[in-house]
Amino acid sequence: MGDAVDIHTVVEMINIKKSFGAVQALRGVDLTLHHNEVLGLVGDNAAGKSTLMKVLSGAYIPDAGKILINGMKASFTNPMDARRLGIEMVYQDYALANNLDVSANVFMGREVVTIKAGLLGVMNYPYMEQETRSLLNRLKIDISSVRQKVERLSGGQRQAVAIARATAFDASVIIMDEPTAALSVAAIDKVLELIRELKAQGASIIVISHRLEDIYQVSDRMIVLRQGRKVSDTPVEGDIHEFRERVVAYMIGARDDFTEKAIS
Amino acid sequence: MSFIEEVIKSLRENIREYGMFIALFIIMLVFTIATDGLFISSRNIVNLVNQTGYIAVLAVGMTLVIVIRHIDLSVGFLAGFLGAVAAIAMVSWNLPVAVVIPMVLVLGILAGRLTSFLVADLGIPAFVATLAGWLGYRGALQLATRATGTIIIPNDAFNAIGNGFIPDFFDIDVLPGIHKFTLVLGLLSIILFIFNQIRNYARMRRQNIEMTSTGLFILKLVLVSTLIGGISWILAGYQGLSWTAVVILIVVFLYHFVTTKTVLGRHIYAVGGNPEAAELSGINVKRITHVVFGSMGMLSALSGILFAARLQSATTTAGNLFELDSIAAAFVGGVSAAGGVGTVVGSLIGALVMTSLTSGMNLMGVDISYQYIARAIVLAAAVIFDVTTRRAAK
Repeated sequence: MGDAVDIHTVVEMINIKKSFGAVQALRGVDLTLHHNEVLGLVGDNAAGKSTLMKVLSGAYIPDAGKILINGMKASFTNPMDARRLGIEMVYQDYALANNLDVSANVFMGREVVTIKAGLLGVMNYPYMEQETRSLLNRLKIDISSVRQKVERLSGGQRQAVAIARATAFDASVIIMDEPTAALSVAAIDKVLELIRELKAQGASIIVISHRLEDIYQVSDRMIVLRQGRKVSDTPVEGDIHEFRERVVAYMIGARDDFTEKAIS
Repeated sequence: MSFIEEVIKSLRENIREYGMFIALFIIMLVFTIATDGLFISSRNIVNLVNQTGYIAVLAVGMTLVIVIRHIDLSVGFLAGFLGAVAAIAMVSWNLPVAVVIPMVLVLGILAGRLTSFLVADLGIPAFVATLAGWLGYRGALQLATRATGTIIIPNDAFNAIGNGFIPDFFDIDVLPGIHKFTLVLGLLSIILFIFNQIRNYARMRRQNIEMTSTGLFILKLVLVSTLIGGISWILAGYQGLSWTAVVILIVVFLYHFVTTKTVLGRHIYAVGGNPEAAELSGINVKRITHVVFGSMGMLSALSGILFAARLQSATTTAGNLFELDSIAAAFVGGVSAAGGVGTVVGSLIGALVMTSLTSGMNLMGVDISYQYIARAIVLAAAVIFDVTTRRAAK
């Protein structure tokens, strides 16, 4: 029984601490992500959401605590380490090169070559373009040509490309930092649709968002952080108004499920 | 859609790519008319190509430097200094040309790596780091030539790089006074170009990739073939292809290949488009910076060799203003100051535009002061064109 649970736990972060100078950004946070689960991560500004996810994606090295990926202890020193273990992060500003086309962005840093010669390897354009095309089709992303430059795409399409890129290489965990910020209402719906599609295809996803209705729509479970601590870890359920009130209560500190643990 | 409409539509959509070719064509046409055909004469065109050489190779390297959002002001005097080193190596150290050229190219790479050490490893802005280089290499050039003044280079093989022509292997009686081998090379390039284009076209058709109509495709083949044929004919009318032209063609071909086909090229443009994203994607931005400045240093050395060979000597002021000429050529050729945008071929065209202006106005006897103003207007117009078409495309 215990083994079965472990297999279904993709990510386990235990007692993660991280300080920047005198500021304690994370004061011992635990986070568990199950297989094929969408986990919402919410909290006020400076609650530690992004810091926690940057620790998981290898961008920050934690001061204390440990990370288990599929039950194995992992230590990352840079984003490439995390990526090798299947952890992909979609950054808030998309992290795309606008001067390159869609296919080039999807394969950025992982170009497929016909002739292997390190940096002088000759790229396999047809393969990368076909792969990108089928990836976009699989995720039902509406972009007419994979040769379109990213600067010509709308905000929603760019976010879709950023997400598609994260999923292109068999990622086991996809972290999305504010995927719906700075998008139009129609584009937000598309992105939420895409998250559901990814879940349907078996991905495990962590979504950071300050838009509670987005979390409510796509997440199975939700963690609230406040001042570098976890204050709530509950399934997403009930109607939206009740949900919103509950979350806000945690965010402003009116409720706290983990006070005792924090003191000890 | 009628054929004419499609041509116009294609022109409008690809105006940024065709713009500089059209500009070069118009400039050449205007000068040809203004000088009663003197401008387009074989002798002048050959001369123009040789004059473009040392700026064109710098512009190619500068393209990549600007693409990754840096600048290199040191290239002019570095070229001058390394040209002097080449001269001294041949005259005072009695080294053979076959040793001198590789040695100077390697010195160029080392100089470029020194710049990239300052820029990539120490985080000094490229403008400042290369301004220091500009001062330093200027001093080094004066030191190198102080004892002797201008160093005359007596080596024919070396000087041929700047003044010589490829031999005519087909020295037969047909078409006297015409360089047959140049014509054969021109013909071969046309065949190769058409073969390559048709192969690509067939592949795109097989994969159902959106593309131009057959009519437009044939028009493009005819235009480019005529252009290559015309240039070959003009060059063949004097003494054929110069060694400088061969050097330019090799450099442009190599750099075009690397920038469009290889992982390195893709990474250079990714770094230029979004350095943070490139770094997060696992691209080693520092390494790319080292490679790009290293290549710039090597091309500076090549430029110094071309210039010294052309003058058959190393002078105390060699390389003066090359950096600004090559930067201007790159911008005229469509490189964007914001980074990430610009092609090697574009910069070659930009360099040809700038030398054509100088050459044409010289033939017309235009006062040098007006020449600078005319070049200023062309540079400004090119950048304005670039910025407005980019905005319209969004």
